[in-house]
Amino acid sequence: MNSLINFGQYIPTGSVIHKLDPRAKLFAFLIIITSIFPAKNLLQVSLWIAVLISLVYVTKISWRIILRVARPVFFLIAFTCLFNIFYGELYRALFTSLRLFVLMIFAIMLPLTTAPLELSDGLDTLLRPLSAIGFPAHESSMMIGMALRFIPLLMQETDKIIRAQISRGARLDQGNLFQRVKAFFPVLIPLFIIIFRRADEIATAMEARGYDGGDGRTRRKPLIWKFTDTLAILIAIILAGVIFML
Amino acid sequence: MLNEKQTNRNNDIPFLEVKSISFSYDAINTGRTLTLKDVSFFVNKGERIAILGHNGSGKSTLVKILGGLVEPDKGECLVNGVKIQDLDFHELRGTIGMVFQDPENQIVAAMVEDDVAFAPENQGLPSNEIQERVDNALRRVNMSHKQDSSVQRIALAGALAAKVDCLILDEATSMLDTQGRKDIEKVLREIHAEGMTIIQVTHILERESFSDIQRVIVLSQGEIIWHGTNKEFWDKAEDLGFDLPDKEITTNPAPVPSSNVKFKIDNLSFKYNPDDINYALRNIDANIYAGQWLSIIGKTGSGKSTLVQHLNALYKIQEGNIYFDGQELAQKGEEVHTLRQRVGLVFQHPEDQLFSPTVREELAFAPKNAGFSGSELDEAILYGLECVGLDKIFLERNPIALSGGERRLVAIASVLSAKPECIVLDEPLAGLDASYERIILAMLGRLRDEGKTIITITHDLRVALKFSDRILFLMDSKKVKEGTPDELINKLRTIYPDWFSDS
Repeated sequence: MNSLINFGQYIPTGSVIHKLDPRAKLFAFLIIITSIFPAKNLLQVSLWIAVLISLVYVTKISWRIILRVARPVFFLIAFTCLFNIFYGELYRALFTSLRLFVLMIFAIMLPLTTAPLELSDGLDTLLRPLSAIGFPAHESSMMIGMALRFIPLLMQETDKIIRAQISRGARLDQGNLFQRVKAFFPVLIPLFIIIFRRADEIATAMEARGYDGGDGRTRRKPLIWKFTDTLAILIAIILAGVIFML
Repeated sequence: MLNEKQTNRNNDIPFLEVKSISFSYDAINTGRTLTLKDVSFFVNKGERIAILGHNGSGKSTLVKILGGLVEPDKGECLVNGVKIQDLDFHELRGTIGMVFQDPENQIVAAMVEDDVAFAPENQGLPSNEIQERVDNALRRVNMSHKQDSSVQRIALAGALAAKVDCLILDEATSMLDTQGRKDIEKVLREIHAEGMTIIQVTHILERESFSDIQRVIVLSQGEIIWHGTNKEFWDKAEDLGFDLPDKEITTNPAPVPSSNVKFKIDNLSFKYNPDDINYALRNIDANIYAGQWLSIIGKTGSGKSTLVQHLNALYKIQEGNIYFDGQELAQKGEEVHTLRQRVGLVFQHPEDQLFSPTVREELAFAPKNAGFSGSELDEAILYGLECVGLDKIFLERNPIALSGGERRLVAIASVLSAKPECIVLDEPLAGLDASYERIILAMLGRLRDEGKTIITITHDLRVALKFSDRILFLMDSKKVKEGTPDELINKLRTIYPDWFSDS
């Protein structure tokens, strides 16, 4: 009966990766990211691409979905690429972009395979030590989880507002950069109003259901560390180590 | 979570008591604009009451006060004789549950069970007990069915999982279609029969939904203007400014029947993604006549919005064709801009798309984009304002500061100000109360009589039959029926008996 409500980016397929403890996934992700950043040759990046392809295969999520979710990221990558071409050589620009692309797709796999509240739980436990020095560990984790849950919804809203303003004759794709930025105000202003209203409503709804911060909150399925979780982290460390040596 | 014995002993104390509550949002100028003014009433345990009010009557604020989410400026709210602010947070949340209007804003988790578990998790219960609560709540709302209302069902289950004694519903069914509403109503009647106290805040009148409501309270401009039993209410409803749902349907055709085809839709098919299996529109053939009012009806997801967004080239034609005044519909370049000026499209909840600091600038946006300037522009702004019947003093106001109904009118005016010859409106009445519904329907009738072509999407068959000249009925991306209201009234009764069950 635990079916998907169709919110958020989470795509449940019941794969091994989905079943991993969110803490293990976050930790493995951290290892992989820190290892891709300093990658300096094409061999290393190619190997990470091979790892990525195997990972996607194991998660049973189709590339079509992944690339669709990644679409906004392409702009960032294209921008980085252009910026690098401008200030450096072509090979370097393409290499940096490719590396960034691989990194981003790894990053996207996290919310695709982990339900938002699960991810919040994982982050919460990992960040808990920081609350000793006054860092709002639970609050920040909950915030990130909620943000992930609302991203697709806000994308839909943005699309609707763009359509409505185009219907009123807005020319969003014409003119110089300044004119284009200015032309986007009719989209941004309503979007911000909607975001604030939604945030207010969801906060009210959460309070009405007895949410009072993390203290005293229990879980229907408490996080349980399994052998596969240890194994996942070991695999990540070995991969990162081996590829780093090359 | 108060047990039976305790309540019996306190038999003389009502479950919920509201004692002369006043509330104002502008706390600095207290007393200038009171959202709630000296509101008093009580609710007995196990009672089901309806609080009725138009947009801006203060009902949503009242709901928040009843749920202890907002503290009143004056007066108090007592639950079983205890001031709501003095109750322990978790005790209060385990006593009063709330369901709000927009289901998307109350779901916190990505999976059904995780979401329903949210309240018991906050109560700090052990995991096996949480699971039990989740299973019971989902069984209670008959979650096995896959229907349009399923998200609102989850929200209802989410409130029930806290094991509350009282449910407050704030327009909880007003975003659902007729079938969705009936499904939720059935669950509400069942849990009421089992002893749940229910306070339902709504502006929708349906005899069936009201069948087990005991008392009705009518709120207007922050004050209770009427209260009495359910039976008494129905005799007074019209005097109180509500439209009775079962009024005789009389059709209202255009003064001059037209045979000029404005849009000819020829075998139109559409998919969102080329590799989708399902079509969003499949082989649609239809004529839209100039100077007539066409209603497009059908369930959520039947393709209505996708179809109308073809008419001003927001969606590009993939298969088939559309002819506008006999010419192939523009698909790109400057011609599309001209098309969008001639065919004005008002989206669902258009008030969410307002962005200007004044109504004047909002109304100037579309005509400016269409090339109006100088006195022509000023005249266009006034034309838009006049169409929706707003006074000139509104021009210098900030749209955000207006009421919901006024914002809707401004949003419609901001499309009309470009002087389109065709006006397409997607659910123009959604969320509005009877008085604004009347204003908008009368306005559309006037525009039609001036010779404009009107196309509205509606899920309200009653409105379609009563006001439009033709009806196009879509189901599962296909055209099912098309014709005049007189032709369709009996046919629709057989296809869609649910829509008529109130009358």
